Amino acid sequence: MNITVAVYRGKKVVELSGDIDMYSSPELREHLMALIRRKVPSLPVNFGNVSYIDSSGIATFVEGLKCMKSYGGRLQFFGIPEGIMEILRFSKLDRVFEIYGNIEDVFDS
Amino acid sequence: MKDAIVITVPSHPKFLSVVRAVTVTAVRLYEIDDTTAEEIKLAIDEACTNIIKHAYRGDTSGKIVLKYSAGREAFKVVIDDNGLKARPESIRGRSFDDVRPGGLGIHFIKRVFDIYKFDAKKKRGNRLTLIKYFEGEK
Repeated sequence: MNITVAVYRGKKVVELSGDIDMYSSPELREHLMALIRRKVPSLPVNFGNVSYIDSSGIATFVEGLKCMKSYGGRLQFFGIPEGIMEILRFSKLDRVFEIYGNIEDVFDS
Repeated sequence: MKDAIVITVPSHPKFLSVVRAVTVTAVRLYEIDDTTAEEIKLAIDEACTNIIKHAYRGDTSGKIVLKYSAGREAFKVVIDDNGLKARPESIRGRSFDDVRPGGLGIHFIKRVFDIYKFDAKKKRGNRLTLIKYFEGEK
């Protein structure tokens, strides 16, 4: 997994690529929570280049979402590949996370 | 069941990518469709993750042995470890409506495998057998 933070229209956007599993999710958690601790009002996450996610990766995002909700923040996903979308649907998490098609949809929300 | 593939990996999370790669290669050899192959890959990853977390409690010096095989009726994976005994009766996933971190792995395993069974006779460690029946063979 590779994680970078880009700036788009003046806002931070988390760009992920590769596999998110038990090995890589602690690094993801560290980056995500560092941003969330600063109480960013919204955090868009680009899944466009994520090839795989398991329950460890999903748990990291559920934890991040709970933390953000506690102060009224919004965790926003976009560019989710169909295979990962199917996992979120199966887990009924497509109803829990804010999911958008692309970054423009995120900024228009 | 014939043409078995057997791999041994250390109980370190960095080897989960190896397990996934071998799993996908194995299921393709057995001519399983791509959607099911992805579901099996996730399920086997989750089973190994559980072994690292619960059987070995994070000890990365253990071993995980996976044996893949297929016959006309089913695809089978047998996973052995030498860690702490699992308590199958306590392995439950969380409700999908109870949104919290964790508790999804077992759902991902049972989503694709028809049989999920621990071998009660194994004296040391665990042997988990996972069987996926092919269409019309259940």
